[in-house]
Amino acid sequence: MRLFRKNIIFLGSVIFICATSIAFTTFYTKPKEVSAKLVSTQKVFEAGETISLDFELNTPVKTTLFLHASFGSANIDPVEPTTTRFVIPSFIARKKGKISYKLIYESEVLVKGVVDVIANTRTEVSLESYIGPPSIVAGGKDYTMHVVIPTDAYDNPFPDSTVVAIKHQFMKVENENTLYSKDMIAWKNIFSYKQSGRLLLFSKVGETASKEFSVEMYSALPEDFVISSDRKHVYADGNQITELSTSIIKDMYGNVVSDGTLVQFVIKDASGAILQTQGSTLYGKAVARVLHPDHKDTWQIKAYVYGMAESNELTLSYQPIIDDFEVKFAKENREIVVGPLVSFMQQLIPDGATVKLMIFKEQKKIDTKISTSSNGKVRFLLKDGFYEAGIYDIHISALGVQKKYKKVLLQ
Amino acid sequence: MGVVFHGTSIFFTLESTYDALIHLFFGNHYANNWFETWNYSWYTGFTVMGYPPLVHQSIGLLSYIGGLKFGLFTVAIIAIVLFITGIYRFALLLSSNRKVAGYTAVLAVFSSAFIETLHIFGQLPSIIGLSVLLHALPEIYLWLKIGRYVYLINALSLIAVTVTSHHVTPIFGMIFFIFPLIGMVLMDVSKERVSTYREIRFVIFIQSFLSLFKRIVGFGFGALVLIIVCILPYWINTKNNPITQVPIPHGSRDNFLEVTSSGLVFFLIPWGILLLFIPYIWYRFFSKRYLFFGLSITLLTILGTGGTTPIPRMILGDNAFDILTLDRFTLWASIMALPMFGEFTYRFIEGDIKEKVEKNYGSIYYKIVAGVCATMLLAVTLLTMSLGYFRPLQPQKIKMLPIQNFLSQDQHDKWRYLTLGFGDQMAWLSAQTNAMTVDGNYHSARRLPELTTRAVERLENSKFRGVEGIGSLQQFLTVPEKYNLKYVFSNDKFYDPILYFCGWQRLRQLENGIMVWEKLNVPPLSNILPKEEVATFQRIMWGLIPVSTVVLAFMINIRWIWIHALKTKSKRFPVYFKYGILYGDFKKYLLKISYIWGILILAIAGNGLYLIYIKSVKQISPIHVTEAYYDALDIKEYKRAYSYLDPQCHKTIDQYMLEIAVNDGLLSSYAKMDNIKVSVTAKTDSTTKVKAVTHWVTPLEKIDKVYHHELVKYGKKWFVKPLSYDLDIPPDQLYTRNTTTYYNHGRRRVSSEQTYHEDVLKQPVLEVLSAKIVEHKDQYMIIGELQNIDNVPADVVVTGTLYNDKSEKLAKYNVKHQMKHKLLPKEITSFRINFEGIAWMNIEESKPDTFDPNQFTSLDFKEVPTRFNLQCAGNVATVDLYKEVAINDLSITDNHIEGVLFNSGLEEVTIPMLLISYYDQNHQLVWIDHQYLREGIRPQRKQYFKYTLLDVSCVNYFDTDMKNVFVNGLENTLITDKVVPERKEEHKSIQFLPINGKGFSYIKLEVNTYIGAPN
Repeated sequence: MRLFRKNIIFLGSVIFICATSIAFTTFYTKPKEVSAKLVSTQKVFEAGETISLDFELNTPVKTTLFLHASFGSANIDPVEPTTTRFVIPSFIARKKGKISYKLIYESEVLVKGVVDVIANTRTEVSLESYIGPPSIVAGGKDYTMHVVIPTDAYDNPFPDSTVVAIKHQFMKVENENTLYSKDMIAWKNIFSYKQSGRLLLFSKVGETASKEFSVEMYSALPEDFVISSDRKHVYADGNQITELSTSIIKDMYGNVVSDGTLVQFVIKDASGAILQTQGSTLYGKAVARVLHPDHKDTWQIKAYVYGMAESNELTLSYQPIIDDFEVKFAKENREIVVGPLVSFMQQLIPDGATVKLMIFKEQKKIDTKISTSSNGKVRFLLKDGFYEAGIYDIHISALGVQKKYKKVLLQ
Repeated sequence: MGVVFHGTSIFFTLESTYDALIHLFFGNHYANNWFETWNYSWYTGFTVMGYPPLVHQSIGLLSYIGGLKFGLFTVAIIAIVLFITGIYRFALLLSSNRKVAGYTAVLAVFSSAFIETLHIFGQLPSIIGLSVLLHALPEIYLWLKIGRYVYLINALSLIAVTVTSHHVTPIFGMIFFIFPLIGMVLMDVSKERVSTYREIRFVIFIQSFLSLFKRIVGFGFGALVLIIVCILPYWINTKNNPITQVPIPHGSRDNFLEVTSSGLVFFLIPWGILLLFIPYIWYRFFSKRYLFFGLSITLLTILGTGGTTPIPRMILGDNAFDILTLDRFTLWASIMALPMFGEFTYRFIEGDIKEKVEKNYGSIYYKIVAGVCATMLLAVTLLTMSLGYFRPLQPQKIKMLPIQNFLSQDQHDKWRYLTLGFGDQMAWLSAQTNAMTVDGNYHSARRLPELTTRAVERLENSKFRGVEGIGSLQQFLTVPEKYNLKYVFSNDKFYDPILYFCGWQRLRQLENGIMVWEKLNVPPLSNILPKEEVATFQRIMWGLIPVSTVVLAFMINIRWIWIHALKTKSKRFPVYFKYGILYGDFKKYLLKISYIWGILILAIAGNGLYLIYIKSVKQISPIHVTEAYYDALDIKEYKRAYSYLDPQCHKTIDQYMLEIAVNDGLLSSYAKMDNIKVSVTAKTDSTTKVKAVTHWVTPLEKIDKVYHHELVKYGKKWFVKPLSYDLDIPPDQLYTRNTTTYYNHGRRRVSSEQTYHEDVLKQPVLEVLSAKIVEHKDQYMIIGELQNIDNVPADVVVTGTLYNDKSEKLAKYNVKHQMKHKLLPKEITSFRINFEGIAWMNIEESKPDTFDPNQFTSLDFKEVPTRFNLQCAGNVATVDLYKEVAINDLSITDNHIEGVLFNSGLEEVTIPMLLISYYDQNHQLVWIDHQYLREGIRPQRKQYFKYTLLDVSCVNYFDTDMKNVFVNGLENTLITDKVVPERKEEHKSIQFLPINGKGFSYIKLEVNTYIGAPN
């Protein structure tokens, strides 16, 4: 146990001696008086140029140069270990902006200063250019913006007031403007012309031209227009198609509206119901189609580009194709043949005309049968299993004509 | 023989099994990142620590030699070898007779349970786990009996392999295989104390138990430590991420008597031929030596019956019952029964049973019985093998290369994708591509609450999961931005309408016939995705332990294999050979029981066939024939449907098929019949009128439709009179259309650069004309109208957010289908945003039993929203701009609108949808409703519709302030002022149909059209 304590004391004293000696050597080193000054005189460099800085030291010691530039910070050694000539690495020297430097000897700053790097106008110009939006509306209110950033070969923006030529072509117009860059960029708003079409433009700095840009000018909002109809005949046969078409829809500057513009045709029929059909424009003209009604009707038609433009009102009347049709009762009134349904020239009506048969018993509707015509005729069978013998009222309606048969006796 | 038989056939079956490709996917994961436990490919990232890795890692290792599939097949062949040798050793252990063991091994090759597990389910880990466990059993026996440590080490090394290949097998294997084995050892030890098994009494048994207690505990403790340590990361993961999911229905939990298909797959097939020999198997297992095996097999059999009896649920408890798949119990039971079946076969072919039968019934009879048994064995084997062929479990094999190429082109893998109708092949796709999917095929690993709260195994096959499936899918399709989901690969046209109406567009069909759907305005995935880190020690354990257990087990057991393969040492019989019995005393009554049982089983099978026959006689009554007719229509067996039609109506089959062929639409192309109720409305002796109320399920909504039919009777058979069809003749034979079509180059220069500035199109400008919050029965929605005021067509995405008074966000959602997503220049649409919550977050909430895809789980608002924000984004659309459907006739009756739609264009409209906007007397929008029409509209044809007007008097609207409405990130008010400053407000009412309804004064109709097959 005692031996153990002895050891601890011994160890403690050794540690103490070591610590004090280290402390003395650290704090009581002799200060050396080192000073330096910058020898090289050039303070402004063009990007890409070799930037070398020479210093003069009173005592030859090993120094390093600490740099701080837009790319970040770096600590560089002299070109040769014995000299005090520093060459700033090219990746920093190529970048426009300020480079601050500090000459350092053993954590001590001996000299500090700043050099400027400016864009190198002697290299080939490169242009960074943008346009947006790529499509605008004709009429002179909407515009697109062209932005140009002229730079040197190292991607450094040129100083302010660099001359940028900007040219654009629209139809027969070829326009040139001169811009001066400010805060690195040169920009221009290009307002639309009254006509729709395509505008091409580019910009130029010195001998360097940008690529070609194109801006689409779409027509402005549509103006009111006129509609017309085209139909094969005026009869309400429920089969032919009436074509409704617009005049060429244009905007207020006379541009044809862009293809695909939707035109809504709203049809008010004789009963006040609102029917609709629509068409999209092709070279300004929209065509919509609607089936002829299958009964006498008068349609009031008006077309709209919703919220923007409308047409005149068109009235179309459809004549009934029949005034009457034949109904034959057979097999003790249990077979009812409607037709032949004949159309306006006494021809058989095309297949598919709807015929509705309603059966009433004691004023109460008990069944409705709907069938479509085939070869102008429709046949209904009232089977005795389902309709007991008795007296019925039968209503038949087809193509807008209704016929009522009262007190039909089914055996 | 087993290797040849299975080895050749797995090449045809394994790829189409349920699970094999999942294991392949995992194998691929390990092959690429051995120590990485996080996988981004599925479920927005999941941990692979949810499944013991040995088999996957083996596949991964072997894939370095010959690719993933080589790895899979090699592992499968190893599994077969292990299984056959394992069952041989197990049989040898039980019977102590090499011949019996040999027969058992041969029969094991043809065991239908094994075939099903391998060739239909593809559960490799479970087979390997079980096989290795079987190998471990003799070692355990020897350790307990003799007590040499070498046997303990052997046994434990094999148990370790079992643990790392499948965690459930050793846990239940302990109970069902090792405990009975211990019991058997005790019996054997007890027998040594007395002379025969018969004299063993309980006291002696306890004495032997106590004498072996140390060894048992030693082994048990060792096994427990292995189970915990070998897959420690798995247990840690399970603890951290407990399975808090809604259980997914599994056929093995069904009542097999009710759901006969489950009964077939999970009971009849695994048992197969063994069913005939159950009396013998039970008799032998309940002899005293095997008593504990008898108890175990009984328990396994009962557990294997799933939901047929309430007992399994009582034994396992609700929780375990809902998580475990119970088919494995049947598998274990049938494997356990194999040695006894082998023994019987041995005795039947060369033993005492043969003598007995020949003596009692004559040798010809014996040969017949033997022949019948052999034929049945082969028949069951073949049936099981080819089950996948008769009833395809999976869609046709899909060529993945075009999809892979698509995903790797043009940075398409920067977005997530989703597959629909791929079956388990989606795992194979995931293994081959870098792209990620929101779906996945290992449901225990699901993380998104949208998935875990629903019993939806995969989104991919959601149509089989009813409301939950389609509901989940719709959520993903409506808000794809949330998941960066941009591409859908559809292999099933069932999903097409839902994709269209949720605002997706068809991109193109790949060479393999898969349709690619795309959604615009979805941001790409960020470069850094969230993941759950795990401790390094866990990763190292996970990466190294499983393979090292195999290496260790192999090294330890190689001695045994060496001895047996090369017979280097003279054969020494293991101790258990002492306990073999002589087969000579076959009880006559047992033979009789077996005989009767066999006949009984055959009779039941025959009865089943007869019942199937009776069901197939359809035309005995009007109701039957109507049901049969619709059934035939439903499964598109038109020839059969035609056979039910009145033969005297002179309709030829060609004419009938033609009529069917021209019918397209929601009902005829996308519907599946849910049920049908047929009732007779009028009846005579030879004719009947019936009313058929049919319920159809479609991807969009549930459809109820009533049909009226007339039926006639000729002789004893009833026939359906054909319904009349549309006779309408269009006016034009050939006609032309000039329309505007669009093409967007994307990039004009072939370049892999990210975005070419000059090729980015301007987003079309939209203007929101009105928007407001509406409240209906405590549900809040945003409704409004917007117009594409640009000169190019727009695809529109509208996102609404609701806030409370304190500007706290309450809900955010997109417009689903109540809008026209594609707008031509100057076109308007109404829209409605329903705020959907995640369904059944609360498990106690009752789920609807019936399927209703139209139903959505509305969000439960805790506070009243008072403000809203609307973000609309337009993108240039180039497709789905068909607008040629006119409203050709309208009539208003009471509370109905009836009308005619007319398709004047060139495309066949598959599903027309009506959007109905309700306005009050001040021309203010109050409500928006929609209706899908059931039938499509062919070109130049008309279609009738009938819409029932709603009572909207209980709808309140508020906050019509438009200041928080933004279009493409710009304020809507600015757009209004700038683009259409002089809007003609009177146009608002041009389409108004005046109706004096409940809570509204006008309605407006709009038509949206889905075209199934664009020209």
